[in-house]
Amino acid sequence: MHFITDRQTIEDLNIFGKRGDGAIYGLFNHTQTRGGAVLMEQLFNEPLSRPEAIRKRIGIIRFFAGAGLSFPCKPEWFDAIEQYLANTDERTKLSHEDSTLGKRITGMITQNTEEVVVHKGVAALVELVHACKGFVAALAVEEMASAGAAYAEERVTLEELLQDVAFAGVLRESPRKKLAFEQVAGFDELLRFRHRGVVRRLLDRVYYVDLYLTVARVAVAKKLAFPTVLEREAHTVMVKGLYHPGLADPVANSVRITPDNNVVFLTGANMAGKSTFMKSLGIAVYLGHMGFPVAAAEMEFSVLDGLFTTINLADNLGMGASHFYAEVLRVKKVAEELNRGRNLLVIFDELFRGTNVKDAYEATIAITEAFAGKRTSIFVISTHIIEAGEVLRERCDNIGFLFLPTRMKGTQPVYTYQLERGITDDRHGMVIIRNEGILDILEKGNWNES
Amino acid sequence: MSFITDQQTLNDLNLLGKHRRGSIFSLFCKVHTTGGERLLEQFFRHPLTDVEAINERSMLFRYFAGLGLVFPLSGAQVEAMESYLESPGQGNWPAAVWHSLRGKAMATLVRDETYGLLREGLLATVNGLYVLYAFLRELAARDPMGPYAGRVKAAMAVLEDRRLAAVLGDQRPAGGFGDQRSAGGPGEERCADWSLLTVARHDHLLRTRLRPGLESVRNVLSELDVFIGVGNLARANGWSYPRALSPADNIVWIEGLKHPAVPHAVGNSIVLEKNTNMLFLTGANMAGKSTFMKAFGVSVYLAHMGFPVAAAEMAFSVRDGLFTSINVADDLSQGHSHFYAEVLRVKKVAQAVSEGKRLVVLFDELFKGTNVKDAYDGTLVVTDAFSRYRHCAFIISTHIVEAGEALRKRRDNLRFAYLPTVLENGRPRYPYVLHDGIAADRVGMMIIENEGILDIIKKKSN
Repeated sequence: MHFITDRQTIEDLNIFGKRGDGAIYGLFNHTQTRGGAVLMEQLFNEPLSRPEAIRKRIGIIRFFAGAGLSFPCKPEWFDAIEQYLANTDERTKLSHEDSTLGKRITGMITQNTEEVVVHKGVAALVELVHACKGFVAALAVEEMASAGAAYAEERVTLEELLQDVAFAGVLRESPRKKLAFEQVAGFDELLRFRHRGVVRRLLDRVYYVDLYLTVARVAVAKKLAFPTVLEREAHTVMVKGLYHPGLADPVANSVRITPDNNVVFLTGANMAGKSTFMKSLGIAVYLGHMGFPVAAAEMEFSVLDGLFTTINLADNLGMGASHFYAEVLRVKKVAEELNRGRNLLVIFDELFRGTNVKDAYEATIAITEAFAGKRTSIFVISTHIIEAGEVLRERCDNIGFLFLPTRMKGTQPVYTYQLERGITDDRHGMVIIRNEGILDILEKGNWNES
Repeated sequence: MSFITDQQTLNDLNLLGKHRRGSIFSLFCKVHTTGGERLLEQFFRHPLTDVEAINERSMLFRYFAGLGLVFPLSGAQVEAMESYLESPGQGNWPAAVWHSLRGKAMATLVRDETYGLLREGLLATVNGLYVLYAFLRELAARDPMGPYAGRVKAAMAVLEDRRLAAVLGDQRPAGGFGDQRSAGGPGEERCADWSLLTVARHDHLLRTRLRPGLESVRNVLSELDVFIGVGNLARANGWSYPRALSPADNIVWIEGLKHPAVPHAVGNSIVLEKNTNMLFLTGANMAGKSTFMKAFGVSVYLAHMGFPVAAAEMAFSVRDGLFTSINVADDLSQGHSHFYAEVLRVKKVAQAVSEGKRLVVLFDELFKGTNVKDAYDGTLVVTDAFSRYRHCAFIISTHIVEAGEALRKRRDNLRFAYLPTVLENGRPRYPYVLHDGIAADRVGMMIIENEGILDIIKKKSN
């Protein structure tokens, strides 16, 4: 079963980004090869939901982060190889008849482009195979040094691939030596046609290596943490020093969510950082389920079935639905998923802002209380209706109350971005209205009809 | 002084833009000539602020709607005529001859099309002017004392020029209005034997010597185009002609107001005057608040242009300007949140209002970009502050009914109206009819219950 999420969530967390700016994918998208980039996108699209699989990937990336290896291949090889392998037309096969003197002389004058592709492709493949051989040897040495060595299994696969009969001839040649026409023709037959599948598998392995090394490099450079994966039954998310990986100068927060406080009721002024905190948590959980390092000092999480956020909900006026109705449908969707017995992380920013105060108050209480009954899922709900918080505190014992404070410096609000326990009624909408002087303008204006 | 408004308002009301879907301009753009389109655009870009001027133009629309004329020229005719008359003619008579001669020679030698085009354009223009003359003559004969008769006579005078008579032919048409299009003119046969010199002579006459006169004829043609098009449109839709009153009367009074782009809409009536100059509009999100406000804004704008409006009846004091805030977009590139964008918008309007101008101001869902409680406080204080400007007319809508209750206690010049939600078999329905008071319907919890969300969550998962 896949990790469940949806488009709204991906957009809220800016996983892929609209123009790639500040997107989480963009943070990691520094692979050397195009194949690696495709693979990266695939992993981002398919977070894992089996604890063993997540642990294994985390282990591999952690191993590479510690191993100080660099990618053994040059990026330009892959362009030559992919272009070469893409052409499966038998007629482009180099044959020995082509090596007649006449043909050769013609070839010297006008290069046959297809033939050039074949020559370059074969040469690049020969270099690649040799580089992999060296890399495998270096890996074996690294593995001896580190205990556990999560990559060992995949390393063996790679090793076996290299021992395939397909590469026997290639490995006998020394790399970077110019190959004779007959040799190229021979390798072309072997690599492009007879053992095509083996070559593809080797490339896939290499692309994975590229991906792991890239993620490991980002993890080291940005000082990301490798999360600890707990069993599903723990229903716990614990993060220390959590921050938003897209921010230049982020403030870190710690939070611990267990079945005893699996609903977080978050309050705070508009710019106090509620959304940022919620996004940070969502991103960390998402990356964690991909088996990637996360933007935190330390993280433990039990594997969930899915993640749903509602942070920037657009009202779909084209379809005649109002903002409030869009919110209701969103809650309904989450409710249906919960009803299927799934354990989710659910994030709602500013629940029910599309209606009047009283409706928002009642709806917030009703929905939050109902959510609180689902102890195996985790909910983070932000609101300005603090009265709802007071009521909920009495009715449920598993709600944790957190707030992001605002300190006033004269008339200017200052934010600490540090979570504190409790509820706050900080708001600064009126402060902004006052600071812009709208009321003064109207007060002093010419309102006595002239 | 020109009517004050801004881009945001024009966008909110979707007023301008020929190719914008559903824009009010495209709705009114039933013209045949480019001159007519230019004139229409000018009307749209420059609403009037003078009572006399507005009533005068409005009266002309009403007059032409009453006549029920059909614009006499077809689109292709007009196009050929306009492109011919707009291209520059030759400065003097020998040059015109030379131009024709050269064109004809080129046509024979290298199949150049210049001469052919010149001849066709000339022919289309002569025909067009012939038809137009017949039309004007009929118009003048029908109503010699009509409000537009002066313009008609001026244009006829140009066309009756002795030199032109030779071109148009002597048999002045005498037919009725029904058949101007088919009524002859010089006709293809007669023109077929125009010699090169005749072509050159006519060309020189039309494009050079009579140019200023024909310009004014074309202006009359453009006006006729717009007045006939808009007048017929208003008649077909049953629109009415607003009456402009002096600014001192301080009133906007509309019966059966609709949005012109929503043809089968429900008509609503509204009066805003000195002692109740602010309408506080509540109702659920889908109840039609925005459409009502847009209909109001569009009508006020059209009325200041002297145009017919989609209402049964309308009278209004002329204002200095119109500001709306219906779809404020957040400008994230400047780091502004939606809320801040709204605050800046309110500030801009506040500045205009505080200068003592007589404005119409429409705020839809004030402060919807923030949380409910800030929106409540903000709506309350801002509405309260605006309400003292009694020479302006305001409509402020919100779904936060609590703000209305609080305002009712503070001010006496507010009118409260709401667009109701009716429950039918547990489903909300919206009748779009304005009622007095503050909406009491609480659709929020009802929708949640309808969707059965609480049951879904609480139900034992299987």
